[in-house]
Amino acid sequence: MVIITTKKPVDEVLNVLKDNNARKLFLVSCGVCSALCQTGGEEGLVEWKEILENEGYDIVNGIVVDDVCDNREMAKVVRKNDADVQEADSIITLSCGLGVQSIVQVLSKKYPEKNVFVTNNTEFMGMTERIGRFYMRCQGCGDCLLNETGGICPITTCAKSLMNGPCGGMVNEKCEVGNYEKDCGWVLIYNRLKEIGRLDLFSKLRDPVDWSESGHQREVVWR
Amino acid sequence: MAEKKVYSKLGEMLANGEFILTGELEPEKTCDLSHTIQEAKEIAPYVVAANVTDSPLGIVTINSMAASHIIQKEAGLEVIWQLTVRDVNKLGIAGMIMGGHALGLRNVLSLTGDHPALGDMPESKPVFDLDSATLIRLVKDMVDKGTINGHEIENPPTLHVGAAANPNSDPMGAEILKIGRKAEAGCEFIQTQVVYDLDRTIEFLSEIKKYNVPILLGIFPMKSYGMAKGFDTFVPGVDVPKDILAKWKSIKTEFKDDKKEQKRLYDQANYEFFKPFISELKKKGLLAGVHCMAVHYPRIFPKLMEVIKA
Repeated sequence: MVIITTKKPVDEVLNVLKDNNARKLFLVSCGVCSALCQTGGEEGLVEWKEILENEGYDIVNGIVVDDVCDNREMAKVVRKNDADVQEADSIITLSCGLGVQSIVQVLSKKYPEKNVFVTNNTEFMGMTERIGRFYMRCQGCGDCLLNETGGICPITTCAKSLMNGPCGGMVNEKCEVGNYEKDCGWVLIYNRLKEIGRLDLFSKLRDPVDWSESGHQREVVWR
Repeated sequence: MAEKKVYSKLGEMLANGEFILTGELEPEKTCDLSHTIQEAKEIAPYVVAANVTDSPLGIVTINSMAASHIIQKEAGLEVIWQLTVRDVNKLGIAGMIMGGHALGLRNVLSLTGDHPALGDMPESKPVFDLDSATLIRLVKDMVDKGTINGHEIENPPTLHVGAAANPNSDPMGAEILKIGRKAEAGCEFIQTQVVYDLDRTIEFLSEIKKYNVPILLGIFPMKSYGMAKGFDTFVPGVDVPKDILAKWKSIKTEFKDDKKEQKRLYDQANYEFFKPFISELKKKGLLAGVHCMAVHYPRIFPKLMEVIKA
């Protein structure tokens, strides 16, 4: 599993830096997911260093970190590079949204005044077909239905996340959203359940999603 | 078996097994409903009730609950309030069901609704907290049990709830099982999508007969060649047969200087196509009536009545 990211337009990032009067920058690039998505890693770091230097920014340091999203790893990075962090007015992270928030959290005690900015948009947690082809197949809803839907997720593959599809927007097995180019999730489920001889599961009237336990600052804490 | 409770004229006629006609009204992006009310008055002598659409294709129109209430009051025509699960969560919808009842609405049609991405506010948040089957169950719980989510309603609403079905759906098997879920949820009548293919319609209706829900066949008489062509081109999943398009085109070109005759011929052609179509299904015992979706074509209704009464 990879958190899929795409690059923000360069001008959007530059405008944010300008708006916040950033001058001295410390770059942190994700060496895992964003490296795979070519929005971070060593290559991304080189690319952004050049862009920012050309714009006249002072690059205090730039490093590739394996787990920007791991608070422990980031705490180590900050400790090891304390002088650079202290000198920089802002941290630029080439990562997903988890990376940004991990850095904000780690810096919050010692350097609450430091700004943290991100160069990427976080798209989804993705399944990798090959580099450059990533697909959303799970939204982490917290109540997995896959055992009952032939291993195909209706929350993700149905544009309306319906629990009792297909809807009238399905034509010739395709979905009304996106000009009938994508498969209807509920037809995928129907075909799959038919293949495995479990259309009884398809016939089942399903309850609506229970939103009472989800959506707000979800956490898994077991120790 | 307990006697079926009746809350509306539609409910009564369906319970009595009378072969009925329902119509459709499509309010537009306006706060003035006078045109729709006029159309409602024109079709009122022929139909038992008329659907009032809920922002079809995701294009924002006047709210269907408000429009349903006003049309029912001003035109004296019973309405079938179309309610989609697209825009409001179940908390909001439960409130709307009580509000709809308080406004005098007694029939509601449960629909998924076209995705906002298709319409004129594509950036809207798609809600779909419920779906067309679970909305039916919500209404049935409110009406029959007098509860919302297990909580008692002081004065529960009384509405009949219907569902849509699409005989054109492919794979048909998935649609049939879906109708089974809607029946299990308690839907009291079904209105189908527009059909033109008799064999397919017979196959589909025969399959869903086992669910024992009265079915109103969706038809779309075409007022002009432009309408037929547009319907064929722009309504996904509905193909107007080529011979119909050819016939309508010939009426348009051959009588372009005689509008009166052109109208008469269009009406006649609709009658000739739909009469045997409906008669065949009626004879097979597959229908409880017909739902005519031809909006802005009220003059076809007297002719349709001949078909219904035949």
